[in-house]
Amino acid sequence: MTSAAVGRRRPRRRESIVLPITILLVVLAAVSLLAICFGTASISLRSLFGGDAIARAIVFRLRVPRVCLAAAVGATLGVAGVTFQTLLRNPLADPFILGVSGGAACGAAVATALGLSAIPGVVPAVAFAGACGATAAVFLLARRRDHTDPVRLLLSGLVLNALFSSIILIAFSLSRQSDLTAALRWMMGTLFGATWNDVALVGTLLVVSVAVLFWIANDLRMLAFGEEDARSRGVDVERIKLVGFLTASIATGAAVAVSGIIGFIGLIVPNLVRLAWRRDFRALLPLSALAGATLVVASDLVSRVIVRSSELPISAFTAVLGVPFFLSLLRKAR
Amino acid sequence: MLEADRISYAYAGAPAVREASFRAGERGELIAVIGPNGSGKSTLLKMLARVVSPSSGEVRFEGKPLQEWHAREYARRVGYLPQDPDPVFPMRAIDVVVSGRAPFLARFQWERDSDYDEAERALAMCDGSHLADRYLDEMSGGERKRVFLARVLAASPSLILLDEPLAALDIAHIQQFALLLRDVATSTGATVIFAAHDVNWAAAYSDRMLVMDHGALALDAPPSLVMRADAMQRFFGLDAAVIEAGGRTWIVPRTES
Repeated sequence: MTSAAVGRRRPRRRESIVLPITILLVVLAAVSLLAICFGTASISLRSLFGGDAIARAIVFRLRVPRVCLAAAVGATLGVAGVTFQTLLRNPLADPFILGVSGGAACGAAVATALGLSAIPGVVPAVAFAGACGATAAVFLLARRRDHTDPVRLLLSGLVLNALFSSIILIAFSLSRQSDLTAALRWMMGTLFGATWNDVALVGTLLVVSVAVLFWIANDLRMLAFGEEDARSRGVDVERIKLVGFLTASIATGAAVAVSGIIGFIGLIVPNLVRLAWRRDFRALLPLSALAGATLVVASDLVSRVIVRSSELPISAFTAVLGVPFFLSLLRKAR
Repeated sequence: MLEADRISYAYAGAPAVREASFRAGERGELIAVIGPNGSGKSTLLKMLARVVSPSSGEVRFEGKPLQEWHAREYARRVGYLPQDPDPVFPMRAIDVVVSGRAPFLARFQWERDSDYDEAERALAMCDGSHLADRYLDEMSGGERKRVFLARVLAASPSLILLDEPLAALDIAHIQQFALLLRDVATSTGATVIFAAHDVNWAAAYSDRMLVMDHGALALDAPPSLVMRADAMQRFFGLDAAVIEAGGRTWIVPRTES
């Protein structure tokens, strides 16, 4: 060290994300293991590997796909949230506010009212179409000549959400009682009855969307400084916004189609991760995926075990588990 | 180096800049763009920065029209500082500065040590080394300006475009920051074009002034020809006295009585 440098601390340079990722992976693995072992019936590892056929069936047919789906859905919502927040330069943006989830819910509700819920796969398919339709509508409404205005994007989402709520109310009033229970369950979000097909659908779209978002991450993070600034740094802003928005929306559509509306994840997870490790989008993307997966697996576990022989809605626990974390980080931050 | 050839721009039909033409590019030259609010200063800079494209006319940089420049190539040579840059999420100063190196990074590449070296050099040039580890939202307006100027300098541009860099600074910081701009122009040899609404400061720290009037480039002259009562009357509609003090010329509005 030269004498001039003595006494002046060098600023920390690029901070590695190995440690945060390791921490989240360990927590996710631990929570997943608990979620596999505990449920309405507790299963010990000994009975599982000791040839207990019923224990095996419960674990491998029901719980493992359910935990995998929870992780995939949580990761998707976390990824979508951090993408929307970065694109719109707004920490309050999430798939719900932008109308993506509302579009999916609207599609599902209408399909239910029309009595289509008896045919397997129709409700998720219509929900997915609803999510895509809502995304397209919000994006077109927000477009002015050659650019997309973030404030108009949020406003369009809010207005469409109100419209979707009305349609959902009407659809529910016209639905048969038996359909209504299933529809309500879906509106509250549930991972009940998860199959490997669901896992494959959400998982595939998750992997593809994360790959696409990594592809544009170096440009997307520059949007944090404002669109004009990003453009002056050589970023093709309109293209990045379009690709980012569509990717996050389609992934959200798939997650909502199979698991219903699990609230709060897309909003809180990126903010939580940002409070814990202040980084840019490139680091927040994998961290939000892992944190989202962890939070949904944990919430699902709690919703299954907290009341004996009954399942409570998972959405109730995403907030119950997420908020204390969030508040403690918020207190520490300033 | 930079030529603007009859460039115009209109927002939703309302012309903001009309057929402006000028050349710039002398080493270390400081050019101030002045004019009343809404006269088209920001829009002119945005066209030069390739943030918006002129609706007619052409900007050429190093002889090549701007639309033929690859966006990243242009970003490596030309730095632009918007009026009010604000990363909405908390960031350390050094990370803000090093993000100015983005046009040099490959698709999946993260900033290398050499990029941090450049960032630290740029921050030091702006007397901001002590700010490196601090977060932007904990800084004063003057400190933030330094960090953002350093961000522009981190790419070692040969042309620097600054939109109202002296706005929202108190009088001592205006002086400090203007001196810093002068230092930067001299030591890096870059051409600096900055918009300013205060003619006195703009004249004190520029070699040349571009006066915008209702979107038109009305005057392109050294400060001595702008700092005159007739020019103030014509471009700002201001009844002003011209006084000499401290070896400089100052415009002082006549108070109504």
